[in-house]
Amino acid sequence: MNDLRRALLIAAKDLRLEFRTGGRLPSMTAFVVLAGFLFGFALDRGLVPGRDVAAALIWLTILFAATAGAGRIFDAEEEEGAFRHLLLTPVSRPAVFLGKTLANLAVIWLVSALSFVSLTAFLGVRDPGSLAAHTAILLPGTVGLAATGTFFGRMSRHSTLGDTLLPVLTFPLLVPVIFFGATATARVFLERPWTEISGSVRLLWAFALGAVVAGGALFRHLTDE
Amino acid sequence: MTLEGRRLVCRYGPTRALDGVDVVAGGGEILAVVGPNGAGKTTLLRTLSGEKRPDRGEVLLDGSPVSGADPRWRGRVGLVSHRPGLYRKLSVAENLTFFASLHAVPSARDAVGRALEAVGAATLAGTRAEALSRGQSQRVALARSLLHDPDILFLDEPFTGLDPAGAAALETTLRARRTGGGVIVLVTHDLRRCLGLANRVAVLRGGRKVHDGGTGAADAADLLGFFTAGGRDASTTPSAGHRS
Repeated sequence: MNDLRRALLIAAKDLRLEFRTGGRLPSMTAFVVLAGFLFGFALDRGLVPGRDVAAALIWLTILFAATAGAGRIFDAEEEEGAFRHLLLTPVSRPAVFLGKTLANLAVIWLVSALSFVSLTAFLGVRDPGSLAAHTAILLPGTVGLAATGTFFGRMSRHSTLGDTLLPVLTFPLLVPVIFFGATATARVFLERPWTEISGSVRLLWAFALGAVVAGGALFRHLTDE
Repeated sequence: MTLEGRRLVCRYGPTRALDGVDVVAGGGEILAVVGPNGAGKTTLLRTLSGEKRPDRGEVLLDGSPVSGADPRWRGRVGLVSHRPGLYRKLSVAENLTFFASLHAVPSARDAVGRALEAVGAATLAGTRAEALSRGQSQRVALARSLLHDPDILFLDEPFTGLDPAGAAALETTLRARRTGGGVIVLVTHDLRRCLGLANRVAVLRGGRKVHDGGTGAADAADLLGFFTAGGRDASTTPSAGHRS
């Protein structure tokens, strides 16, 4: 059995647990809906059109929700010591990382979609532009968020600071994701041509692939004694 | 098949959990590791299984170094720890099928059924792990450790929480595996049980091995002495060493 199949097994198990326990999704969902609701009230749309700020608020909401959820990625693994037994199977550490990242990505995707719908609705964005273009931007951005969150979610387990450490470690690293993600999304809202957007998307993919490769290569340092 | 830990040293900060421990466990043998709390028993088990890399020394299988970093080694090892290590929201069958699939066990569902049957837990297949009693969890954990038919089985306080029937089933399983030529390393506080089950007993105290001997009548008396009289260092004990 190859490592990709083992990674998929781990991701499927994580998602089954996620939906069965209602682990992170309900709190993350509540957060993005409330954030949209509050931003909708806080913004004076007579002065600032919702379309001008929606991109930044969508990405910040996704970032906060993903970071809040990252601290709980390993909860089910640690609850009864199952992770120890998972690590004693022949699965490679990069495959464990990939499996956990894929499950985290699926959750973040759901939250991102909800965040997009919630914020465009509450901010009164009537024409958000091409959904395909938004998807093409969100995909690499969320891959980067998922890989970074999985890696540092594991790292925070070893720290006495716990989840408090997560934003301190991840936010500075995720500046490129927020910057290029929000820039590209804003341009889609403004219906700019794809040539003005593709550069940011390429950089988002570069970050995403770097995060996956680096996380996979370094993950054993967070698991093995 | 011989599993050997040679001059093992493990530190946790300034504390030496293992301080130059030598142990040998042969095929068809149950090695019991006993000692008071903090003696280094669990650390020894974790080091031998490859979960923890020793600060010094090495673990050898038939004379060749083995490491937990090697997936082939992990595929030959089974572990029952004092925590069941099951996903609480998954059923017993889902838990075991997941681990069997990671071990690439052919026909994982059939293997799960056989393993549960072997430990007398076949009726628990559809039960969620969170609904299991401590003893039932322990049986399921044992079933998981047997799924991939490991050559070497490590057990850390496996009798904890088991009712008499469960303990008897575990003893039967361990004896069967010993007869099959497997290596079994058992960490326990239960001196009486280990005398009845193991071929050899290693006594640890303060991270050092203070006794290593058989479980015959004379050895048992010697062993009891180590528990009651404070013990001597294995290196200065005339009866120390590997005896079958």
